[in-house]
Amino acid sequence: MATSLPSIACLGVIGRNNNPLHVAIFPSHDPVTNTFRTIRTPLQFSLLLSSTLDIFELRSRQNAAAGTGLTGDYGLLHAVDERLAAYGYETNTGVRFVVVVDMRGKKPAKAIGTGTTRDGLREGEMRPVFKAMQGAYVRLLQNPFYDPDEHDKVPGKKIRSRRFEEEIRRIGEGWGAGVVSL
Amino acid sequence: MDEYPAGSLDHNVPFLLALGTSATATYGAELIASLKDQAVLIRSELPVLDTEQAHALLRYIQSRDASKLPCNARDAPTKHRFRVKTAERSILLPPRRARLPDGIEAPPTAALHSPYSPLSPISPLYPDGIMDAQWIRKHQDLVPSVLLCFYTLTADPTLATLCDNQIKTDVNNIRGLLSQSGYKSKVAVVFLSDQGARLDHLQERLETLRRGCGIDPKLSFFVSPNDSQEELERMGENMLTTLYTVSMEYYRDLGRHCRKKRGRGIAPQPTVPPTSGTSQTLSLAGWNVRYDFKSAIFAEFRAEMDVALRSYEQAYENLLSSELMEVIPSWSPRWNDARFLADVIAVRCLRCMLWNGQHSAAARRWQVHRDRIADFLDRRSRGTRNYGWEAWEARWAIVMANLVEKAQIPDFAPETLKLFLQPEKSAMGERLQPWEHLHHPGYWYRLAAKHTQSRRAFAHQIPEDDRRSPGASPASHVAKSAFAYDTYMCPDPYEEYPLNHAGVDHGRMIIERLMKAREEFLARDQFRFAAEVSLECARELGLVKEWDKMVEILLPLWKDMAFRTEGWIAIADELNWSLRTAAVAVANAELVLAVDWELLSRNFPKRSGWHYDITKSLEGITLESKPTVSIPDGRILPFISTTFLFKDEQGKAGQSVKSQLLIKSNAHQGSPPIVLSGVGVKFTGSLSQVLIKHQEGDSSEQKHGSVSVSSVDLARSAPESDLTSSDIRLNGVANLTLAPGQTLVFNLDIPLREPGETQANSLTLRLETEAFDLEQSLNFPERNTHNFWYISASATKRMTRPDPRVIKVLPRPPKLEVKCPTWKEQYYTDEAIHLDFELVNGEDIEALAKLDVTLFGESPPLFTVNFPDSPEEENKEKTSTNIRSEESSLIGASLGSISPSKSSVIYLILPPIDRPTQFDLTIKVTYFLSTNPGTPITQTDVYQLNILNPFETNYDLLPRVHPEPWPSFFDTDGIPNPHPDDPSLPIPFKGLCQTWSLQTRYASFTSEPIRIHDLDVQINSPLTIRCSAIKSSSTPPLPDNPIIIPPQQIHSTSFSLSAQKLSLDDRSPTPLDILFVIKWSRTTSNSSDSATINTTYLPIPRFNLFGTEPRVLATTTTTTSKDYITLQIWIENASNHFLTFGLSMEGNNEQFAFSGPKSITINLLPVQRKCVEWRIVPFVDKEENDEEKEEEKGKWVELGGLVVRDKYYQKVLRVVPGGEGVRLGKEGGGGGSLEVYVPTAAGRKDKE
Repeated sequence: MATSLPSIACLGVIGRNNNPLHVAIFPSHDPVTNTFRTIRTPLQFSLLLSSTLDIFELRSRQNAAAGTGLTGDYGLLHAVDERLAAYGYETNTGVRFVVVVDMRGKKPAKAIGTGTTRDGLREGEMRPVFKAMQGAYVRLLQNPFYDPDEHDKVPGKKIRSRRFEEEIRRIGEGWGAGVVSL
Repeated sequence: MDEYPAGSLDHNVPFLLALGTSATATYGAELIASLKDQAVLIRSELPVLDTEQAHALLRYIQSRDASKLPCNARDAPTKHRFRVKTAERSILLPPRRARLPDGIEAPPTAALHSPYSPLSPISPLYPDGIMDAQWIRKHQDLVPSVLLCFYTLTADPTLATLCDNQIKTDVNNIRGLLSQSGYKSKVAVVFLSDQGARLDHLQERLETLRRGCGIDPKLSFFVSPNDSQEELERMGENMLTTLYTVSMEYYRDLGRHCRKKRGRGIAPQPTVPPTSGTSQTLSLAGWNVRYDFKSAIFAEFRAEMDVALRSYEQAYENLLSSELMEVIPSWSPRWNDARFLADVIAVRCLRCMLWNGQHSAAARRWQVHRDRIADFLDRRSRGTRNYGWEAWEARWAIVMANLVEKAQIPDFAPETLKLFLQPEKSAMGERLQPWEHLHHPGYWYRLAAKHTQSRRAFAHQIPEDDRRSPGASPASHVAKSAFAYDTYMCPDPYEEYPLNHAGVDHGRMIIERLMKAREEFLARDQFRFAAEVSLECARELGLVKEWDKMVEILLPLWKDMAFRTEGWIAIADELNWSLRTAAVAVANAELVLAVDWELLSRNFPKRSGWHYDITKSLEGITLESKPTVSIPDGRILPFISTTFLFKDEQGKAGQSVKSQLLIKSNAHQGSPPIVLSGVGVKFTGSLSQVLIKHQEGDSSEQKHGSVSVSSVDLARSAPESDLTSSDIRLNGVANLTLAPGQTLVFNLDIPLREPGETQANSLTLRLETEAFDLEQSLNFPERNTHNFWYISASATKRMTRPDPRVIKVLPRPPKLEVKCPTWKEQYYTDEAIHLDFELVNGEDIEALAKLDVTLFGESPPLFTVNFPDSPEEENKEKTSTNIRSEESSLIGASLGSISPSKSSVIYLILPPIDRPTQFDLTIKVTYFLSTNPGTPITQTDVYQLNILNPFETNYDLLPRVHPEPWPSFFDTDGIPNPHPDDPSLPIPFKGLCQTWSLQTRYASFTSEPIRIHDLDVQINSPLTIRCSAIKSSSTPPLPDNPIIIPPQQIHSTSFSLSAQKLSLDDRSPTPLDILFVIKWSRTTSNSSDSATINTTYLPIPRFNLFGTEPRVLATTTTTTSKDYITLQIWIENASNHFLTFGLSMEGNNEQFAFSGPKSITINLLPVQRKCVEWRIVPFVDKEENDEEKEEEKGKWVELGGLVVRDKYYQKVLRVVPGGEGVRLGKEGGGGGSLEVYVPTAAGRKDKE
């Protein structure tokens, strides 16, 4: 079994009313066919992102009770199975960023032997992703034609900004284990 | 875990066997048949104990059974842990040495071995198997560590010795048999005594028995017959604790024995060398695995989990090493045996880790085992892309779920709401896989379900040839396919997915696992995740066509989950379509309609090939009755949006307000238009409902693009007689055909009835077709930034009000009007103010009215109000009262009833006010209508009364020469006689006289011309003088001939004033107060109104008369016939002194010539007046002047040279003009500046 590296399978931006604002899905490497394909359907990713909302709620309740979690970085939300894990971050305005990591999504640059050695993720390894996403979102907010309140009212209204979408795509494709800045 | 052979995975707990009491469970049945005839029988001859006490003790011991306790260090009891079994009087133990099966010749040197050992041909492991579950079961279920024998001590003294001997024999017998069998199980004895046994003898008997049986005193127990339940339990507890230490010793010995065998380092030879197969025997490595495994099991018995884990890991590594599993061919049955052993060891490792709280390590160990096995399969066997592997994966996930459940980790209790555990300290800071945070069992069950789905997918790929049962297939094919499939712990392909009958029910397995997962998620508030699992579950139910269950599982999600409101459209869409499929299958028409109604919305992706016609929804569903669906607001994401706007923020009761209802369709393009049968708007407040019904062909519609605007006439449906009914419905008709994307705008004129706040709440849409009735409620959105008022179909206006759904209805406005037809802009002082007020009743019915009149201001006067319409005489006139200094009011004057469109008149009369001021006049009419006698209606009018002074005046008092001569000291005739004889007569005035001329100038400050009727002065003289005034002759206004003066024009009048002092001796100055009186009237008032002549008194600043200082007055006399002017200079000496004056006149100037003294000295006695005369001829070029200045009537000539000097004080006296034709020159001061008027010839002619 070839070693495979973690990659981002999906990035989600969720509004403060639990409304999805943006979902970007990234293909993972399939070692059997040696091709790239998304490991879940968009619907499944939707479900996966939505399932994190309960955890956000739960954590914010627990954080409020304990007086912790002021940074908004919720770390690992949960791992749905041994491949996919969701990490979360909540901004001060209640907008949430979710990173779904595929622990075997990236083909290693060069197969370094065989075996079952697998790299995990350190705590806080997602921080650059969140930082970059927040940066992208802040830049989106700076656009005077973007009205964040509009998204609260219309169900299912997504962010329509080419620049934002490109930036998110860049973040999703650029991240890998050990990447410090995006 | 259940799929693994019994006992293979169970946690091992020391085994205690209780012998000698009756019990329901029979012992020994577990012994496999082939060993039964070789088994060692241990039998006790004594009867079974059947006393209550024995049962109670046994029950207690059984209740302390630890085999079902959670597998963790925290909950495990420390004093004792036993798995308790009971037998009546006999037990069967497996043989220590297995006999050779028949037909096998054993070499004489051969040693017999345990039937569970791969050395014995009887064992299924023979000759090269490593380990199976049988051996574990032997220790867990068959061979006890402690054999606890129950005996009774009889109370009968005659039988005591006999019985005791029997017991002794029995115990010795058991011990003998046990030691013969080779097992080292410990024997312990419990003595129970009959009722009535004597205690003093008992001790002795027990001692004898112990000695006789050769039992360690520690291991013999006595239960006193009189022990209570509590004492019994305490005794039982002590007994178990003692036995536990013995038991530990037993397992320690076994473990030691194992290690000793491993330490020998040689592979033992089987009893008989194998002859079949490869003739291969178990290698040393295999033996080492076996020994390590055994050690580990014994350590687990001792609850030494660390030791057990080390041994397990060692066994595992050796098992998967190149010497063992790598050399087993994958076609061999030993391959699967090895896999099984690897699984067992891995599970036991996991349990040890969980026991020790190494949760992340456990999760990692779980993955490592899976990866290693997968690696093995990929390299050595049939790979991992088959149903067998997926079946194993599913099982492996379930094993983990079961282990986690069994461990009962406190952090996973549902109340903690923890989804996964933080890594233990030793694993912290490492690069952890997310999955290595141990997640709760729900995740593992879901994982198992996923793998089961994959298993099904693989199973469905099995070619048909392989799916036939072997009997129906050609033998060659069977042989070929025999090794093609991985059937480790799962059925062959023809069983997994048979061609012609049902095989493995994957769907049921998946659903079962998903439901288990769902429970776990729900327990931890993961509602969304549970919903996802429910969706998956529903999909599986759909596959097996269990529609009822599918609806049951989806309906709560569809109703309650926030996916649609939160905008997870893809999820809601999936949910809708799944639910629709199921609803059609169960013929739930309401649900089908509701889903179809929602799916019409363009928010959902359009499914190609779908008709999107709500009227066709129920096609293909057979129904008994016509369904009626009512969809509340918020249940679905409606494709119709609506707003309701009131045009105005406020309205008044009794009036109507313009409003607009907007209905917009957001249905899929291409879907047929929907014809609503009616819409209803619900309100809070006084309005209850507006209903609009559909009617084709409304011509009033105004269309532009997709917007159509129409006005709807509303009519009241409740009968008119029912006026008081609060349930007011308004009906109208309009075209309610709603095409996709269309916006319908209805202009409504809504009458307002009652005051308060009225809010449009919700809209109800009704769709009635032949097949069904559908009703949808929509609440009007609370905050909508896009509140647009449609002026026309193409033009909109933004409503800036925060909430245009709400209108504030003000109380009914008063319709009784207060008018003042005679109101004037300006009122003046000294004028009586008459105000006529007309109260016009604009109501439809009679009004009973009351009047309040209030005058505010600085000390307002009391006023009078006349009520000419009042029937009672005493009420005709009322006068106000002063409540406070700044308020004068008349409260609660009854006006009686005023008929509709009639009026009542009142007159308000204010007395003349003598100073300019300002008042606020408030007329408040409170009235009641006979229809609503409880509600007063108030009309208030405020008038501002500005009272101004109509005139501005100023005055001059000029001295004049009194024509009468002054009294002379020498002329007694001139002094009138007093009347001493008649004191009643007034004392005659004998003092000095003076004449003055009072010049008054006045201008009207009114805004209009006014009529002046008369002018006069009023003299308020002190008693010491008498004074009279005569109006001068210059155009005096007469009372019968008033003059009209325009505003701001100055008019003057002069009065001649003469005064005389009472006494001649009194020569002090006397002040004089004079009032100027103007009688006037307004020109606007009618001629008939001439009675209202106002009199304004204007005080003139105080003048002083009669000084003691001498004064010099100059007068002139002109004669028409002569050319000269006579100038008289009067010198008055009012003092008591003799005064001398020098008068001089300079003659050498070019202005005039004079005749008279050039210089003269005049002596004046006290109280004397003298006059000096000059004739003045001015040098005026009359001819030139006549031509040039014909207009001029005269000319002022300066008499520069005239000087009057007080001789004594050497002071020049001022000459004051004392009549017409003399004035003071511009220079002022000094006699020289006196000027006289010289009339020209023309002027003289005029005079003539």
